[in-house]
Amino acid sequence: MPDAPTEPFIEMRGIRKSFGAIRALSDVDFSIGHGEILGLVGDNSAGKSTLMKILTGAYHRDGGDVLVDGRPTDFRSPHESRDRGIEMIYQDFALCGNLDVGQNIFLGRWPRKGLFVDRKKMYADAETVLRRLKVDVNSVYQKVESLSGGRQQSVAIARAISFQPRLIVLDEPTANLSVMATTQLLETMAELKRLGVAQVIISHRLTDIFEVGDRVMVLKRGQNVGERRIAETSEQEVLEIIVSGTPTA
Amino acid sequence: MTDVLPRPAWRRPGELVGAWEAGLLAMMALLFVAGAVLNPAFFGTTDALHALFRDSARVAVMAVGMTFVIANKDLDLSVGSTLGLVAVVFSIVFDPNRMDMGVVPAIAVCVALGTLIGVINGVLVTYLRVPAFIATLTMLFIGRGLVLGLTSGRSVLYPIKARDYEAFFQLGETNGWGFNNQIAIALICVAVGAVVLGKTRWGYETMATGGNEQAAKYAGIPTTLVRIRAYVLSSLCATLAGLMTVAQDKGVTSQAGLLTELMVIAAVIVGGASILGGRGRVIGSFLGALLIVLINKVLREGVPITRIVEIGGQKIEVNAVSTLPAGAVPAFIGTLLIVAVLIEPYVIRRRLLARLWARLRNRPPPPIPDVGGIALVGAQTRTSGGGELSLSTNPLVRFLARRDALAILLTVTLWLIGLALRPDYWWHLSNSFAILLNYTELALLTVGLTYVIACGDIDLSVGAVLALAGSAAAYGLKVLGLDPASAMALGLFAGLLAASVNALVTVGFGLPSFIATLGMFYIARGVAAWIVSGQQLTGWSEGFNLIGRKVGDILDYGGIAPPGGWFGALADVVSVQTVWLLVVAGIAGIVLARTTIGQAVYATGGNRRAADYAGINTNRVRIMALLLCGFCAAMAGVINVAYFRSFNPVAGQFRELDAIAAVIIGGGSIFGGYGTMLGSLAGAAVITLVRAILQLNIVTASGESIVLPQHWVNVIIGLILIFSVLTDIWLRQSRPLARLVAALTGRKPDIPRRHPHA
Repeated sequence: MPDAPTEPFIEMRGIRKSFGAIRALSDVDFSIGHGEILGLVGDNSAGKSTLMKILTGAYHRDGGDVLVDGRPTDFRSPHESRDRGIEMIYQDFALCGNLDVGQNIFLGRWPRKGLFVDRKKMYADAETVLRRLKVDVNSVYQKVESLSGGRQQSVAIARAISFQPRLIVLDEPTANLSVMATTQLLETMAELKRLGVAQVIISHRLTDIFEVGDRVMVLKRGQNVGERRIAETSEQEVLEIIVSGTPTA
Repeated sequence: MTDVLPRPAWRRPGELVGAWEAGLLAMMALLFVAGAVLNPAFFGTTDALHALFRDSARVAVMAVGMTFVIANKDLDLSVGSTLGLVAVVFSIVFDPNRMDMGVVPAIAVCVALGTLIGVINGVLVTYLRVPAFIATLTMLFIGRGLVLGLTSGRSVLYPIKARDYEAFFQLGETNGWGFNNQIAIALICVAVGAVVLGKTRWGYETMATGGNEQAAKYAGIPTTLVRIRAYVLSSLCATLAGLMTVAQDKGVTSQAGLLTELMVIAAVIVGGASILGGRGRVIGSFLGALLIVLINKVLREGVPITRIVEIGGQKIEVNAVSTLPAGAVPAFIGTLLIVAVLIEPYVIRRRLLARLWARLRNRPPPPIPDVGGIALVGAQTRTSGGGELSLSTNPLVRFLARRDALAILLTVTLWLIGLALRPDYWWHLSNSFAILLNYTELALLTVGLTYVIACGDIDLSVGAVLALAGSAAAYGLKVLGLDPASAMALGLFAGLLAASVNALVTVGFGLPSFIATLGMFYIARGVAAWIVSGQQLTGWSEGFNLIGRKVGDILDYGGIAPPGGWFGALADVVSVQTVWLLVVAGIAGIVLARTTIGQAVYATGGNRRAADYAGINTNRVRIMALLLCGFCAAMAGVINVAYFRSFNPVAGQFRELDAIAAVIIGGGSIFGGYGTMLGSLAGAAVITLVRAILQLNIVTASGESIVLPQHWVNVIIGLILIFSVLTDIWLRQSRPLARLVAALTGRKPDIPRRHPHA
């Protein structure tokens, strides 16, 4: 368990971002250590997704620094952050329902043999990734749209894992899941942590964060308003910060 | 704190008219002046103004209904054929030589028919979830087929009987105040429509549905009803316009309402409505109708010129009139439609003019407001057929779970039906290859269209591009005197050019592909007609025609002695185009099924956003598909000209219908993400066989022979298209069988949640 990592894996300092007249983020700080699970919480429009999209390069910040392994970066697109080991799983999973599990895991980078897609290798590798994740998907040949929400998410996570990431950002991962699928997801997250993958959960559901998280960070109206270690706080306290939300230093 | 910059005080927005309408008026004044300068004898008079208003009246009436449909984020392409069909049905009921009934029953039948068409359109689009453009396009073709079938292509006129029904037929005439009654009808319609759309709940419901159907639904607005209502309104407006036509002409021609849907849609879009829904004003549509009719008139108007003619060595000045050929009108208005569609998202929403003005004054341009995406978020595939069935170990079940199983089974069944109907000659080699020849043109079109549809786009212009490429090649051969290879290149280039415009508007500007290719549908056919006008495009070197000949003919041409045996027999029936098709389809099929390009096509069609995130250049994939589609259509066009040894302006007509139907029957989904080459080829075979069987000369037991007229065949193909789309949506995607099995076994079906946008 990484207790107060000396050098954080990722650090964001003084992030600012406006959309037209709306200031979405003002001087937001953020950090996460190797293999840490951080819950990012706050009201709607608190700026959680915006902050993470700036981290992955989907949005461009107006000001502030993003440091990965202590080095300043300027990602222009999610593809650049992916090369540095940062993956994001979107709320709707961003999968192609008409393709099967194997094709989705290797979406856009299907292995090739000469001119053609190397189907044998693709499905074999997909099996390997799924097994490593210990998730339960019937068959790599099954079309994703015929899977339930929980299994679709497993495919999305498997896809993220196959990039060998060091950080996975999960946007509202439990929003569309049944209770059972949520339990399974939390197990998967613990498994990822054992593999040394840092994770950020953007969520409204504190219960889930308290189950697997190490730390929780609260945003309100685009500002930091609080940060607690899970072991040293309660859901009640975090809830109070979300609601009353006085900016902290 | 979230800071909101102080906003300027806003005026309450106008509900009936605004700045857009003022601009339209200015534009029209300019055009009218231009027309008056070109031909003062025609445009400079009050008669001209009166004629403009009179001819605009019908378009304006239809534009009122269409405004409701487009504001709903729907489209109604069927209005032109509804107008024609209503006029024809009225004539059949009224005509003394047909049913010889009075005006009142005739009108009653027409209103019932109009309502029915509107309800069918509405139900197809809402409850049955068929995309609006495909449902109403099919309706357009079916209506056109019915018009031709019912009139047999002839005019129905009854000027004498019309005199006994003064009250009705006076509606098409000039009244005591000196203006045509149709103008009064149109003004009443526009006034009522403007108030209903701008001031009443009906109108507000329409705007809400078009702006965000999901939100409207959550707010308790019966959006399905709102959309069906708009279709019925549109259809009834077309009915009224049809009756106005009859009242004016005291009869009907089989051409009634041709191209009217283009004029009406262009009028509404030019009038400021957004194809992306939620925006539109009836007054604007009315002005748009005036503008479009004015442009139509200016284009058709001759410019008086003096020409110097040499007669017997003497130069004589002759007064002549120079007019643009007929194809110019659809070509211009189609272009105008595309440009007008671009104005709303680019010039208005992104404040292009304000930014340009600021830049000119060296001021910082105002920021582009965050637009919630200009591109329509296309309906993506949601659920699939097969599912677990496709993993079954039983090969028969696996085959039936394939999306192209239907097409393959249908092909076999239809061939057997043909055999049963004409056992005497159906199976002959010559008949088989005659069918194969018809098949080749359609199959070539479906090769490209399979890519486009799998990408989640559509190309409505394939038939028109076929004609364009054919006319360009023929023009090159005959008029420019090009050698066969250059002529071929010219034809293919023309097709690629049209496809590039499709790709630019669809991908570059992010407009829905159906509207871009709909514009091209009119433009390409218009330009093709323009090219051939006044030319006899036939009689050129046989060298070019070889690509439309049989292998045996080529051997002849090359001076090679015909080989004997089975090869000789085969060479006499197999044509070059069939061989060419096999090559093209083979390569395209392998690329689609086995390479990463094909995978990227499916990923793009399945979920474009996900494909983008995964690093697939979806824009490039879509451009490639649209270009391939245009290229295939161009090849079919060049081959068509070579086969017939001449260019026929109706080449490729209705082919878009055949081709789309073939891809959908063959397992493609109109929502994208599906479609295989094998399936599409089988689908094309189904369509070809249906046409072949319908056109069979069937000899009955009593010795009579029956042939189904061509017009009715198109009606049936239209019906097949609608049914295949419905089959795709309701059988392949909703999986009623899986649900039934699940219900019977008491297991909760593992059917994933639906996309909220039904």
